[in-house]
Amino acid sequence: MSNNMIRKASAFEILNHWVLALSFFVLMISGFGFLFHLEGLNSVFGSFNQMKAVHNYIGIVFTVSLLLTVFYYLPVSLKFSGDDITWFLKGGGYFSKKTETPPQDKLNAGQKLYYIFILIAGIAIAATGFIMWLRPPLADIRKWILISHFLHNISFDFMVIAMPFHVYLATLANPGTLRIMVYGTVPIEWAKKRHGKWVKRAE
Amino acid sequence: MLRKALLISPEICIGCRGCQIACKEWNNLPADETKNEGTLENPSDLTPNLYNKVRFIEVPSETTPLRWLFVSQRCMHCDDAGCITICPAPGALFKTKEGAVAYDKDKCIGCKLCASACPFNIPRFDKNDKISKCHLCSDRISEGLSPACAKTCPTGAIRYGQRDEIISNSQKEGYEKLYGQADLGGLGVLYAFKDAPKIYGMDEQPAVPETVLLWHNVLKPLSYLGLGGAVAASLLHYIAFKPKKDEEDK
Repeated sequence: MSNNMIRKASAFEILNHWVLALSFFVLMISGFGFLFHLEGLNSVFGSFNQMKAVHNYIGIVFTVSLLLTVFYYLPVSLKFSGDDITWFLKGGGYFSKKTETPPQDKLNAGQKLYYIFILIAGIAIAATGFIMWLRPPLADIRKWILISHFLHNISFDFMVIAMPFHVYLATLANPGTLRIMVYGTVPIEWAKKRHGKWVKRAE
Repeated sequence: MLRKALLISPEICIGCRGCQIACKEWNNLPADETKNEGTLENPSDLTPNLYNKVRFIEVPSETTPLRWLFVSQRCMHCDDAGCITICPAPGALFKTKEGAVAYDKDKCIGCKLCASACPFNIPRFDKNDKISKCHLCSDRISEGLSPACAKTCPTGAIRYGQRDEIISNSQKEGYEKLYGQADLGGLGVLYAFKDAPKIYGMDEQPAVPETVLLWHNVLKPLSYLGLGGAVAASLLHYIAFKPKKDEEDK
């Protein structure tokens, strides 16, 4: 690492991010296949029977990967301060070139909130998925399945709406961000502007 | 082709269960091990090997302490079938041209969602987790034959025919409205009840669960509209505001 760079993501964090992303896309695409009977996907998965098996087992990968993020994203995400509120009030500076946003932690306010929402929706979609897959022997299992199916789909909607913003904000909207999930390092000057509090602590 | 239907008349049924046997014979279904539950009703519930059964219901009437009702039960072959709505596997559950709700076990993925979406709790699952239920003998009716249960019924308690004829004939016989005439878009199994449906152990107003309809009508479209909208909003933002660049870049 050269002196003007600072490490923002560990190798494990990067690896886990791409495991999560890849499993998410497999689950999302097969999920759309189930919702809209996309028989063209048979050329990828072979058959709906196999697509179901892939969806179920990749669901395990997704769940484990999601839960692992708790160790490194949750503590910082739960630290909400007045600066975070100001950040939101200023729309993160995304709606004007002139807006000055308050100094941010390792994750900015938007990233924190995004993570909390993804964690909640992710746990909901995983838990309800396992209920539908494993059908625990409950007396009212038909009702449980209906509720699970409903929550699974609400979480699905939430995730497919959230995902494009995440991709956009990490690439086109903020040049220089994507490299965090490739090399794990960013220039210190870049980091000072976006994660001032964190850099100050790290130095 | 005009829609076909079964007409069940519990008052004519003698509880012989010939329909259960005929169904097993035609559909090549083995007998289930069963046990005495203190009633002649047997087996006590539908199974993957039992597509139809006669329910024996004991209710008091106004004149006698006991009224014994025999109600033949099977898939109701709904027009608005919740099972077809929720099924994620194309071609696994489908409607035949006669209006029967039939299935293809090869295409069934064994998710069992249909069992939850069914207003009558009909679908059962075989040892391979594939759906197993009455298909109105779709292999018989496609050849112009009656379903096995109707064919064998010795009293005419189960009759098969054109759905609209069944309805008009029963109106002539004094049945103002058959059970299932208008429910769920019209059921493919109609009941000539002389009392309130609940006496016969049936829901007054069967309906596809609301969460299934809400999912189908709102959540499903929202998924691709939301995804497309989010992509479009991101691109619009990019065009309108351009990316955040550091001062040095200017």
